[in-house]
Amino acid sequence: MRGQALLWHMARAAGATWLIVSVLFLLSHATIDPESQLRDTLENATHPSEAGQRAAATQQLLHRYGLDTPLFYTTWHPQVGWQWHGGQNQYHAWLTQLAHGNLGYSYQADAPVAELLAQALHYTLPLTLLAALLSVSAAVGLTVVLSYRPVGRRWFLRLAHTLQSLPLFLLALGLLLLFANPDALSWFPAFGLSSTAAAEAWQQPGIMLYQLTLPVASLVLSSFPALAIQLDGALQQEFTQPYTATARAKGASQARTAWRHALRNALLPLVTLLTELLPSIVAGSVVVEVIFALPGMGRLIADAALQQDFPVLLGGVGLVAFVRLVAQFMADILYSVLDPRFRIAA
Amino acid sequence: MIYAALLRKHWAAIGWLALVVLAALSAPTASPTPDLANVNQPPFHALHWLGTTPQGLDVGLSLWQGARTVLLVSLPASILTLLLGAALGGAAGYWGNTKWRVGRLKLVGVGITLLLAVAALFYVPVSWLWLGGPLLLGGSWLLGRNHHGATWPIPVDSIVMALIALLNSIPLLVLVVATAAVRPPSVGGVVALLSLTCWPVPARLMRGATLQSSKQPYLEAAWAAGIPTHRILWRHIGPNTLPVLLVRFPLTVAILIGLETTLSFLGVGLPADTPSWGRLLATVRQAPTNWWLIVCPGLAVVGTVLSLQRLSSPPKGPSHVT
Repeated sequence: MRGQALLWHMARAAGATWLIVSVLFLLSHATIDPESQLRDTLENATHPSEAGQRAAATQQLLHRYGLDTPLFYTTWHPQVGWQWHGGQNQYHAWLTQLAHGNLGYSYQADAPVAELLAQALHYTLPLTLLAALLSVSAAVGLTVVLSYRPVGRRWFLRLAHTLQSLPLFLLALGLLLLFANPDALSWFPAFGLSSTAAAEAWQQPGIMLYQLTLPVASLVLSSFPALAIQLDGALQQEFTQPYTATARAKGASQARTAWRHALRNALLPLVTLLTELLPSIVAGSVVVEVIFALPGMGRLIADAALQQDFPVLLGGVGLVAFVRLVAQFMADILYSVLDPRFRIAA
Repeated sequence: MIYAALLRKHWAAIGWLALVVLAALSAPTASPTPDLANVNQPPFHALHWLGTTPQGLDVGLSLWQGARTVLLVSLPASILTLLLGAALGGAAGYWGNTKWRVGRLKLVGVGITLLLAVAALFYVPVSWLWLGGPLLLGGSWLLGRNHHGATWPIPVDSIVMALIALLNSIPLLVLVVATAAVRPPSVGGVVALLSLTCWPVPARLMRGATLQSSKQPYLEAAWAAGIPTHRILWRHIGPNTLPVLLVRFPLTVAILIGLETTLSFLGVGLPADTPSWGRLLATVRQAPTNWWLIVCPGLAVVGTVLSLQRLSSPPKGPSHVT
């Protein structure tokens, strides 16, 4: 029974990923006419040449990018009616390529998409992983510690609500103004990651941590209030349950009741937030990466979108969608492990 | 009476929002001329009380005009978001996967008509289609109307949830930036874009509320009594789910203000000459040490968002589970 449900989950996740990426591929390729775009760039880039030559060059470029075949298996022409193209179409070629583990080649940068993604992840993962870890632990720790201290909890919630109303870019700018400003406190570098090649190998993590302090801080400050508010609500809900009264009555301290009894039940809704957190760890943060000039995943995807570099855009978005489905899958399993009620329902 | 109590409790929030609306209504429409003699002036300057930007634009005037953009973009966008979310979420919650059954003949008829219409697009001038399309569709619908044969259920719930999953699979900002890159920037485009990407949250809420209220005994009774669907939706489910939307409204406006300022900050979406708080904040990147360029528009954004959040918080303080 469990195995069957698991298989069904996996099949559904795989199907959903395929559907999402296919829709993105077809939509992005159908909305833009690559031929006219190429012609524009050719006219701008090269010296004025013969019209015939230009057409030939356009055809050559289209052929090189694999854009000269029809988009899908079938097309409709007013003169001919429905046409079946067989395997000779862009979608089929792209799927075959994908099945071989090849994500394609960037239009803009002279590199395969997989390499670009790996490079971006190399910068994004330390930033977002650190931020996710810190914000989850800060949210859980502070909320539980303050959950049975009414005055502290009130101030904490007020702070969390205020922080939540600040857009991320405002937080990042504020931190920059305070801590990377020659007029105020000039503790941290304003942006970028300087080369760490000159330093000793054992010093490198320290330097990276120092350079990532402000980006990580702005991410943590913007993401932990939502977690804390949700967890606080769940905890207060658990405190009204009879089992907390029982725990207190048998002599458990307030701290023990909060940590050992209430928290375990209050953490359940937080599992759902895992499905939100994991994809954003891979997707990076466009805003923070733009402000602090970090060459990460968010910047890569946003730049690809602006330059209409579809292989990179599809690769990045596909990766994020895939991670999201994996996270959903993990959350489903975690739920049924953590809460027996879900085993019956599933 | 209840409004008086609300006003007493949230006088600061309501006052601030009224100020923003007043500023939006009274802002001059002419685009301001930069004062190039006074560039990068700190606040409390004789001519420019709130200072100037590196381009010599008055910060106070930009804030004043930016209020109108805030109102023009976020209000229509949040109304559209809520309406779209309510329609899709309500339909998903009410009909579920099985309750909306359509006769096989009717479904096939409508399908064939749609195919024919798409095919006709290539032969017939478009203007005919506006006339003929609805006529054909209505005709085929009426044809199958009294047919008591096998019916197929339409999985409304699955369709809506799949749409939500599709939208959620892409980071919101990336989606918006990608779409904004294709379309030329315009205020209407940003409104459409924001409402087309932000509807899943109200849709989920509405679906839950509709599901909950459609399990009630009085709805069973309404179905048993044979009350038509539109009346059940309007008179029985509507009044019970409306509060969900109303409570959500200020929050949606707050979220959309945050999104709109972020977009303007990144320089995407709105036309370059539209004054906006986000664009004003973006000027600080040219002069990172000008604190007034962050503090003034920052306070405006935070004040507005906080006031809206305060309005939607329940009477017993800010802690609540949704």
